[in-house]
Amino acid sequence: MTAPIELINVTKSYGDFNAVNDVSFTVPEGTVCGFLGPNGAGKTTCIRMMLDILRPTSGTISILGAPRALDVRGRIGYLPEEKGLYKKMTAASIIAYFATLKGMPSALAKKTARELLERYGLGAFQDHKCEALSKGMAQKVQVLASIAHEPDLVILDEPFSGLDPVNQGVMEEVIRDLRAKGRTVLFSTHVMSHAERICERIVVISAGSLVFDGDVHEARALLPRRVRVRGSNIDEVLGQLAEVVNSAPSADGREGVTEHTLREGADPQLLLKAAFDSGIALEVFEVVDPNLHEVFVHLVGEEAREAAIR
Amino acid sequence: MKLIFRIAIREYLENVKTKGFWIGILLFPLLIWMMIEIPQFLEERGIPTRNLIIIDRSDGLGEIARERIKLLNRQKTLGDLQVHIAKHTAGLRDQMMDEQQVDPVDVLDQLEKGLEQLSRSDVEINIFSPDQLVKVADLIPEEMLLDDDKWKFFNTMVRSQLPDDAPEFVEPAPRFREVALIDEISLDNDDEEIENHLKPYLRAERDYPSDDGDVELFALVIIPENALDPDQDLHFWSSNLADTDLIDAILKSLSEEARKREYTRHGIESEVVAEVASLRVRSVNFNPNKSEGDERVGIRDKIRQYAPIGFVYLLWVAIFSIAQMLLNNTIEEKSNRVIEVLLSSVTTTELLMGKVFGVAAVGVTMQIAWIGSLIGILRLKAGPSATWIADLIAAVISPELLGGFIFYFIAGYFFYAFLFAGIGSICNTIKEAQNFLSPLMLVMMVPLGTMTFIPNDPNGAIATTLSWIPPWTPFIMMNRMAANPPAFDVYGTSLLLLVSVVIVFLASAKIFRIGVLRTGQPPKFLELLGWLKSKTF
Repeated sequence: MTAPIELINVTKSYGDFNAVNDVSFTVPEGTVCGFLGPNGAGKTTCIRMMLDILRPTSGTISILGAPRALDVRGRIGYLPEEKGLYKKMTAASIIAYFATLKGMPSALAKKTARELLERYGLGAFQDHKCEALSKGMAQKVQVLASIAHEPDLVILDEPFSGLDPVNQGVMEEVIRDLRAKGRTVLFSTHVMSHAERICERIVVISAGSLVFDGDVHEARALLPRRVRVRGSNIDEVLGQLAEVVNSAPSADGREGVTEHTLREGADPQLLLKAAFDSGIALEVFEVVDPNLHEVFVHLVGEEAREAAIR
Repeated sequence: MKLIFRIAIREYLENVKTKGFWIGILLFPLLIWMMIEIPQFLEERGIPTRNLIIIDRSDGLGEIARERIKLLNRQKTLGDLQVHIAKHTAGLRDQMMDEQQVDPVDVLDQLEKGLEQLSRSDVEINIFSPDQLVKVADLIPEEMLLDDDKWKFFNTMVRSQLPDDAPEFVEPAPRFREVALIDEISLDNDDEEIENHLKPYLRAERDYPSDDGDVELFALVIIPENALDPDQDLHFWSSNLADTDLIDAILKSLSEEARKREYTRHGIESEVVAEVASLRVRSVNFNPNKSEGDERVGIRDKIRQYAPIGFVYLLWVAIFSIAQMLLNNTIEEKSNRVIEVLLSSVTTTELLMGKVFGVAAVGVTMQIAWIGSLIGILRLKAGPSATWIADLIAAVISPELLGGFIFYFIAGYFFYAFLFAGIGSICNTIKEAQNFLSPLMLVMMVPLGTMTFIPNDPNGAIATTLSWIPPWTPFIMMNRMAANPPAFDVYGTSLLLLVSVVIVFLASAKIFRIGVLRTGQPPKFLELLGWLKSKTF
């Protein structure tokens, strides 16, 4: 079975500038994949190429097994980064309209639009014109418009931007619902907490190039684990271990707690054993796994800074 | 194709739902209706009967003035009667469209004969068609109007010719009415006393008591003893300086009388003078292009020659208003970012075509509503000029003009629509679009500028040259349509126009594809050329 999204050596140049440079990755069916990268990394360009809105300068793209997204457009849902609606259309009619453009029969599209609006808390606004909706509501309407036709593949470009925490929660719910139905979802973001909560897989690009493609555990494994401890003389004991590469006061600010960074692949249990062997009673012992935010900064930190300064 | 249709339907429905659309649809017939109705309304109700006093110190010149006033009143009645006939015989006249070559002399002869016959007995005559009835009212000589008997007979006869279901003709109030002097003053008072006494009434400070109740006094006319002498002036008192009909008519009648007396003094009979003055040399015009036996040029031919101007104007307004709509609409779609979602579902070509068709349907609906309401109102409001309208409608419905209009509308619309959509796709605001539109506007003004003189030389060098320039082809060829332009011009320019439409479409589709996703400043002209040459998007 072919992967819903497959990019092979895709490059997009504007003159001398490579917006996307030799990017290859695949997203397996039924996964929720976070497409991460700093501002200007080339995420939107990649997404537009996946959707055949832009054509790559070189390389090949396969979407749901087809060489061009437009050939399978009825099976794709898309929420662009720049969100907009027809101001004069009602919420229900715009969702129905986009669904019919994807090939859904008109009567079914209207029914589905109303059902979706009910389900995601906009039932009272179905007949309101889009210009009368708040920004958050309008964005929800747009998300619903991108999934109303029950697509197999959903591509969301920055779906969380501009939403308040409650609506961010609703957005996560939408994505989880999609996953529950076995759909493939690719969404771009630069807020790692969302990716952490809902992604199984992440693809990170920076300055147009792929820097990571794998599942969330693999991503976390890119950074060494840390252990936070407190106990009398424990820091001296642990400081002598070969597995500990760095020791520093804990970043969370608790008094007397020290954070020891382990060598890659080292087992935190070794530290516990050393404390036991030395007869030190531990008041605190916590294994800290790196979060995606740290992985992200680790992966793209320098480029992102450079890009920001440039 | 299905998606193009869906996009077009949405475009259409969304535009049709707007208030602007309905205001546009309704405003036009309302304006036309007002243009017809307001002057009529003002004429009917705006000018009340003018009450006047004539002080006649002369030897009977007052009577001449009074005759003239009577004539004005009868002419008003006649005009209203004419409108009444036209209104209530509209259906009959439509049926008789074919026999409308009315020769004024014939009609007048018939009228004279009919009147003679009527004055002799009460035999029922049926010599006029409703159309002739309308026309004849223009031809009645003044003597006949002033003759009370003939006037009465004419009225009876005309009214008897109206269809049975026509309402009774109500005679309008007279335009001018002479009122008697009030009791406090008489002709024995001198002019100055009379003037001073009547001034408050003329200033409308007081209502003037007349036999018909209190009225407003419009004017006081004092005809001096030797009014026809060059050094004598007639005194005309009135606060209304704008309405000069009364004084003009009185002066005209008195001047005629003065000339008549002068002729008599020189031993020339005034009837002879009148007869000589009425001599006219007339012509019959023929057009060799018309089919044999039917070469005589009538009013319909004249209308036919000039009707294309109307078509060109309509074509111009139609094309540019619709193309403008498309431009605004594209810019709106681009600036509110809907376009990217659309492009994930449809190709740029589908989107472009859908929009162009949808907006065209809006425009066509508007045109049909306008033309339909125009014809409807004209028919409904058909006044004495009803036959002219019928001729116009007949000319408009001629296959080559209507066919030409439809073809040039479609081709011209697509040409400009693609151009405008292309411009819309590279601009974020109307203001940005203005920069591109200004030079285009200059190009577009040319057919309007040449519109009125092309019919004078429809197959001349200028007209022919301009026809071969695609942006102008629809307008210029439409303008030439009634003059049987050479087949080479007709087919050659049409082909060139169609090829240009395809080229503009391809170029616009390419610009559209790159332009719609671009944000920030619109591209420079050279950059646009670069886009056209580029192979990928």
